[in-house]
Amino acid sequence: MSGGMSRKPGDWVCRSCEYVNFCRRDSCQRCGEHKLGVERLDYTSIGGSWDVKPGDWYCSACRVHNYANRPSCFKCGASKDDSASAIASSWGFRCDTASGAANCSSSWKSGDWICSRTHRPGESSPASRSKAMEEGGRRRISIDLDRLPIKRLDAIDEIGNEQFPPCASFPLICLLTDVAGAPRPELLPPCRDVSHEEKRLGMIRRIDFSSIVADSVGTRKKQKTTPKEAAPAPQQAWPWQGFVENLQLAHQELSVIIDLINTVEANDAVAVSGMQRPKQLPNETLSDLAVSAATKLQRLRNLGRYFKQSSKALELKVSREARFYGSLIRLQQHWKLKRQRVLAGPGSDGFSFDLLDNTSSDTTMLSRPLPNALVRIVRENAGLLAIQRPPKSFRCISISYTGTNFSSRSKKPLKGNIYNSVENPQANKKEALTDEDVNSWVKDTHSVLREIHQSIFLEQVFDRVNHESYCTSPGIHVTGMLEDLLQLAVGQDTSICMSLVSVKKEDDFLDSRGLSQKGNNGFTHSDSSALVVNNEKDEFNQNNLEVPSPVGLEIYLVHIFHKNSLVRLKEKNFSASRVAVTGHAATESCGLTHFCKTVAHRIFSTKVLAEIERLVSRIPYVQLLSHPPWHSRTSSWPQIHTKIVVKDDQVTVSGEGALGTLCSFGISADGSSMDSYGCDLDDLPLILLQQIAGQIIRWLHDEALIVGMKVSRDFLCLYLELDQGDMLGLVARVDPDDVNGCISWWMIMEDGMADDGKFSTNSGEYKNRRFLGHLSLEALYSMLMDLVNVSTNSLGGS
Amino acid sequence: MNKAAVGGGGGGGGPTAAAAVAAAQKQKTLLQRVDADVSNLVDNFSHLVNLARVNDPPVRNSQEAFQMEIRAARMVQAAESLRNLVSELKQTAIFSGFGSLNDNVDRQVAEFNRLEEGSERLLEKVGEQAAANLKELEAHYYSSVLRSSQGDDG
Repeated sequence: MSGGMSRKPGDWVCRSCEYVNFCRRDSCQRCGEHKLGVERLDYTSIGGSWDVKPGDWYCSACRVHNYANRPSCFKCGASKDDSASAIASSWGFRCDTASGAANCSSSWKSGDWICSRTHRPGESSPASRSKAMEEGGRRRISIDLDRLPIKRLDAIDEIGNEQFPPCASFPLICLLTDVAGAPRPELLPPCRDVSHEEKRLGMIRRIDFSSIVADSVGTRKKQKTTPKEAAPAPQQAWPWQGFVENLQLAHQELSVIIDLINTVEANDAVAVSGMQRPKQLPNETLSDLAVSAATKLQRLRNLGRYFKQSSKALELKVSREARFYGSLIRLQQHWKLKRQRVLAGPGSDGFSFDLLDNTSSDTTMLSRPLPNALVRIVRENAGLLAIQRPPKSFRCISISYTGTNFSSRSKKPLKGNIYNSVENPQANKKEALTDEDVNSWVKDTHSVLREIHQSIFLEQVFDRVNHESYCTSPGIHVTGMLEDLLQLAVGQDTSICMSLVSVKKEDDFLDSRGLSQKGNNGFTHSDSSALVVNNEKDEFNQNNLEVPSPVGLEIYLVHIFHKNSLVRLKEKNFSASRVAVTGHAATESCGLTHFCKTVAHRIFSTKVLAEIERLVSRIPYVQLLSHPPWHSRTSSWPQIHTKIVVKDDQVTVSGEGALGTLCSFGISADGSSMDSYGCDLDDLPLILLQQIAGQIIRWLHDEALIVGMKVSRDFLCLYLELDQGDMLGLVARVDPDDVNGCISWWMIMEDGMADDGKFSTNSGEYKNRRFLGHLSLEALYSMLMDLVNVSTNSLGGS
Repeated sequence: MNKAAVGGGGGGGGPTAAAAVAAAQKQKTLLQRVDADVSNLVDNFSHLVNLARVNDPPVRNSQEAFQMEIRAARMVQAAESLRNLVSELKQTAIFSGFGSLNDNVDRQVAEFNRLEEGSERLLEKVGEQAAANLKELEAHYYSSVLRSSQGDDG
């Protein structure tokens, strides 16, 4: 491999950077060194120029041409002074001791030539020449001339044109023929045949030494000419002298050429022992290093970027995880967290909250499957927990009255904004979440879970209500049932309907009026809203007095069942006796009954209260003292020692007996012989008034007795005995519908003569009846005193 | 680790020694994983730094560049597996930390009981206040000008 390009024999090696250049170049391609021989000014000044100098020698071993100054061969290292015989033998010489011992040295003197026939370095002295000639004369001169177009050059000028002398080689050949005698046609000069060899040799000749050869030839010529001239005279008679001289010159040239060819061959025969990069200039080395360093740096930078990217991603993931697990742990403190082994669906990690409260429910009572109990957790974008709400998860019980024009009460969802925040948590906050965000998030999730929990419990309550309504027990009158709705009749004319209503978003405007106007059957559907538009508040307020508010009812209902479940739980926890549990269960199984009765009671008692208040507001001296007990089924109003006890639809009016004073004058605790009457609502006012009037009469009676009159008391009359057997009667007339006052008094004079006996009050035309009107207590008292005075006066008078 | 200590303590006291052994084994496995990951990280990083020198022939440089990339990827992988390990640990703590779970439950129960009592008392107070207010109202009303004027009319 010669450097990737074919190496022609004309190519030359730069001496400083050892780079192979084309032969046409004059200066080295890499370093700019000029080719040897281009400058022909002074060969001697250029050291090491490749020319044949005196003293150049051929190595004995490798036959390489060495410069004179080399002590040993530059190729093989053999020293110069090897034995001449070795040299001679390598060259195939015969060492002629006589003449060659002194002359046959390896030094090459100028003018030496190699005899082509014998290959012996001949001498340029005439003696050797002549010897050769002699040899040539002895033997047959058969000169093997290759087809060397031997032309002697005169000069080569700068351009490279060769100037040949007029043909000098031809006489050589011609002479040969003359010598040989018979012309040999093959020895005719083939010089005009321009073959490849000729071209090569022509180029070889052009290289270096042509002028030198010319010089040397010139010097030889001069040398020859001088001996020629020196001895022209003695040898002029020899006709072959010129021929011989020409032959010698040709020999010289040939030898030179052969030397050159040998050198080239030797150099060509050199195998490529090694490829060597041309020695790099320092800046090239540095630039290579710089490029590698830059590449490495680039890679390192890429790596750095990769690291940063992955670290950011890792940080993000870590923070997400931290937030997720942190909030999970916090929620776990309150809720039951479960892990699913099987991945339930995309986006969920298999965690879920179990909101079903299994401790307090019987398995038999779960008629309604609760798919909402398991709330799945999904992971949000930023790593926060998100709860996948089951559908229909927010439901609550709402109670409404169908008899009245009353729609369900308003219930706002507890956390209305939780819906939005669960769905679009990150729409607002794209930046990094802070701790407060996480905290508020956790709180929101808590609230959501709590709501779901509540709704589950309410569903359970409704379920149990339904169950209990199946069992017929007094007090429960089911009038209608739908899937989510239960209608009960309480009292005489009202019915409530309980339904499971789903709580929707606030901006759903659903017509809630339509609920109550669906005929008297009053089936309302549960998909409609539980919200009340605000302008229904008037109705609400109107109806407020008549019926207990539905909110209270709901709370009460939930409370009942909660108590039930809790009590049951506690029973389970603390007592292992089955009897107690069952017994308790039996008593508590009618929670609905309790509720219904309570509702009925409350309605009724409200009515009673209304009646009483109406009465009281008309009679100025009657006061109402409410005495709300803490039992839900009895309300009592002691009033003027008339105790009205409403107990489960029954009004018991118990008044005191004969003795007792009025409250307005003091409170006496005398209360023997209580009369109690049961009555119902319609008769209540009358009886009340009768009671009151009776008590007043009693009081008057007592007073009169104190004074000393003879009085007697009938149911509502007070008889005063006057003299002459006259009786003065004071009759109370009770009239609940009387606007001015309910108790009015009549004074009746009775003569002894009249034996009608009873007073007949059928007509008011009796003269001896006087209408006194509504009298206050003081007036009555003073009247009594007057009567007493009258009677005593009359007694005293007569 | 706390978890393991609790698990070990509970295991030793509770079921059998086999459970304790299993817990210790699990702990050892986790520790091994952690060690492997951390040593992975350190080794790969040191190799990376070693590979960062610039050599003369560019072939060597591109070789080293590829090697560097591989080391970097391995480091990131080790970090990922560490993170997974941490989340595993957290999961285990959540679901198997029975001590803390029981504590939570007890605390919740106590809190709710307290709340219940508080609400009961509140309700009682409210009722009493309502009754008192009612009595007062009635007294005022019946002794007020309204009633007496009404009485005067009669």
